[in-house]
Amino acid sequence: MSKSNSARKRWLISQAELETWLDGLAQARTLIAPRQVSGIMLYRPVARSDEIAWHGQTPKSAHAGRPVLSVKEIFFPPTERLFTIQKTRQEIRLEETFPDWETVVFGIRPCDARGVKLLDALFLDTNPVDSFYARRRWNTTLIGLACKELGPTCFCTSVGGAPDNAHDMDIMLYETDGGYLAEAVTEKGRYLIPGGKWKETTASPQQSTYSGQFPVPEKGKWPEHFNDEYWLKISERCLSCRACAYVCPTCRCFAVRDEMLAPGQFERIRCWDACAGENYRRVAGGHKPRAEKGERLRNRFFCKFYYYPEQYGLGAASACTGCGRCIEVCPAGVDITEVLMALEKPA
Amino acid sequence: MNYEPRIIAFLCTWCSYTGADTAGIARIKSPANIRAIRVPCSGRVSPELVMRAFDQGADGVLVLGCHIGECHYDTGNHRAAKRLPILHALMQFAGLEPERFHLDWVSASEGERFSRIATEFTEAVRALGPVAWRIAPGGWQAAAESLLPPEKEVPMPALDCAGKTDAIRAKAKELLTSREVGCVIGYEVGPRGRTRPAFAYSAEEADRLVWNPDVSNNLASYLPVKLKPKGKEPPKKVAVVVKSCDSRAVNVLLAENQFTRDQVHVIGVTCEGVRDGSGSLQVRCQTCSERIPVVYDTLIGEPPAAVQAGAVARADWLEKLPPRERMEFWLSQFDRCIRCYACRQACPMCNCPICLYERDDSIWVGMGIGLNEKRTFHLGRAYHLAGRCVGCNECERACPMDIPISLLNQKLAGEIEKTFGHRAGLIIAPSPIVTVLSGEYKEG
Repeated sequence: MSKSNSARKRWLISQAELETWLDGLAQARTLIAPRQVSGIMLYRPVARSDEIAWHGQTPKSAHAGRPVLSVKEIFFPPTERLFTIQKTRQEIRLEETFPDWETVVFGIRPCDARGVKLLDALFLDTNPVDSFYARRRWNTTLIGLACKELGPTCFCTSVGGAPDNAHDMDIMLYETDGGYLAEAVTEKGRYLIPGGKWKETTASPQQSTYSGQFPVPEKGKWPEHFNDEYWLKISERCLSCRACAYVCPTCRCFAVRDEMLAPGQFERIRCWDACAGENYRRVAGGHKPRAEKGERLRNRFFCKFYYYPEQYGLGAASACTGCGRCIEVCPAGVDITEVLMALEKPA
Repeated sequence: MNYEPRIIAFLCTWCSYTGADTAGIARIKSPANIRAIRVPCSGRVSPELVMRAFDQGADGVLVLGCHIGECHYDTGNHRAAKRLPILHALMQFAGLEPERFHLDWVSASEGERFSRIATEFTEAVRALGPVAWRIAPGGWQAAAESLLPPEKEVPMPALDCAGKTDAIRAKAKELLTSREVGCVIGYEVGPRGRTRPAFAYSAEEADRLVWNPDVSNNLASYLPVKLKPKGKEPPKKVAVVVKSCDSRAVNVLLAENQFTRDQVHVIGVTCEGVRDGSGSLQVRCQTCSERIPVVYDTLIGEPPAAVQAGAVARADWLEKLPPRERMEFWLSQFDRCIRCYACRQACPMCNCPICLYERDDSIWVGMGIGLNEKRTFHLGRAYHLAGRCVGCNECERACPMDIPISLLNQKLAGEIEKTFGHRAGLIIAPSPIVTVLSGEYKEG
């Protein structure tokens, strides 16, 4: 534990205190939290704390507290209008509207917060800064909730995370006996905490229990696996859908297109896209450099563990947060942990 | 109230368009709400055109063609008569008021008839008020959540999995050793104990193959790609393990010439049903009537005892809702869609090289992941599966967002069976709505 960590202020609060606080936050801001929507759990705006799904296990989400889609959709929505285009005989007028709402995301798990941090590397820390992403990010406070244990498909501990890692949050909550231990991680988080009302404490949060880490191939070892036959073999069952990419907290590819709204009126939109799709990377003339699905699936793993870390200077870290969503949603049973273990195995 | 409905009328150039002209020449009044679009034949009016008109804000769509028997292309209007009512049923199911869409016949001399139909239709649409079909960006908010009635929990019957597993392995080994086939597509148990598709190329690999209560994937969906000729060598014969629903998919693929019968060795396995995540018999299996594959080269297992046919509670509940609530229901479902195309990719029938709804130059749907686009995709896909869907429900199982997509397919399968007495894949025959007259299609 680093020095700054132990110097963080902590408070002990009850469930009722937490709910009152969240109700207050929801009044002045947009409060987004895990919520049951037609039987599945998603991050959605809630008006009151009683709309929050605290422990909603659903058939599609084996992990008790983790929504089906990652928190990515809040900062980088599936479809976003970049600007509108108005064309008259004399001129072409472009207009952009930026999101501007103060938001609090509650109940975000460490893997998802790590995902946001990784998206920052592309959208915020690299020029040009993405103005849409940046505005959402700056106006949002992340209130994390530590996982007590790992879910059946979780493997955050193998990719450098931990179920109680507060590093990427603004405020972190740990479940304790009879309530929560709240920890202010950043200044932004400290600002939201009602100073006098909560009981300050010096207690340390109880560490989550976990085991079963497995070694993940280092970044430098990936290029030698590029031509492995393995990729063709494991991709045979892949259906080339995009479910894995769309539920992933760090897949961030998008496509941009102008669409007509009315005669003379257009909008430029960007929407999610994914390398699993057959037309992704198709170039002028119709050539597809990754025509085989093995090449496309390989790209997904290389992007997570080699291309993205290499391009955006993540050091030894990978762009996978170990949330395990892709394993859960894959209709054909492709399993990222299986791939990592197979690559690590001596040939 | 000064509401003037916007009505798109697709008029066949030979009869109905001329009929409208006749009305004009005879100075018979017709409503000015009609925007006429001249088409070569009512058979040209594809469902996408109608859906596009509604997506763009039409309050009503009228399609007029030559009387049956008078088509200038012999059978074009038969095509319209077969497929547009199916579309009508689908759009009603999605919450459109039935009066907003009408198909009728007007000949070149029937100016008066044109005027009467146009007037009646316009008045019917006027009475309904503006259409609620097109959703402005951010223009839809979830109302009170309407939830489907819960699915029935049916315990999984006891199965002889070990016997079937042994038989599948033995057959696969025999086929691979004798080099009759290059690959056997079956099921294996993955590292997390999850059953998933497996591809065995050698006798050793065949030892991985299993049969158990979780063999859900429809393996027929891998066949078109696997059997597509690459390079000069013809693709090697493939063996595939199928349940009864999967075997129907094989028949549909054969009817649509995706491959030939001699290219596949079908290992049919009798099926008592497969289970869902909670351990109950899957909904599709509760109503399944075929327990023995309809096409096979090798049959494994004994015919299971008759299974009670369950009720389709979910569809009934939905049918009984008023149109507006049904539309709300579907919007709340489609709202969750992320357009990941898992449904389409898991579907053995969705094998177009480029999906109509994913083309870069698609004029039918935008690329945005918005409510209008998502609904158009789902309804369009359901329509394209009419008479082809075998009800394996893989689309719904693959959906990460739990959208009850199969309800759309079931609805149309029911319509097709009612109208044409056709159930997809029971014999090698294509969907009745892609052929023109009964008996026109000849095998081979």
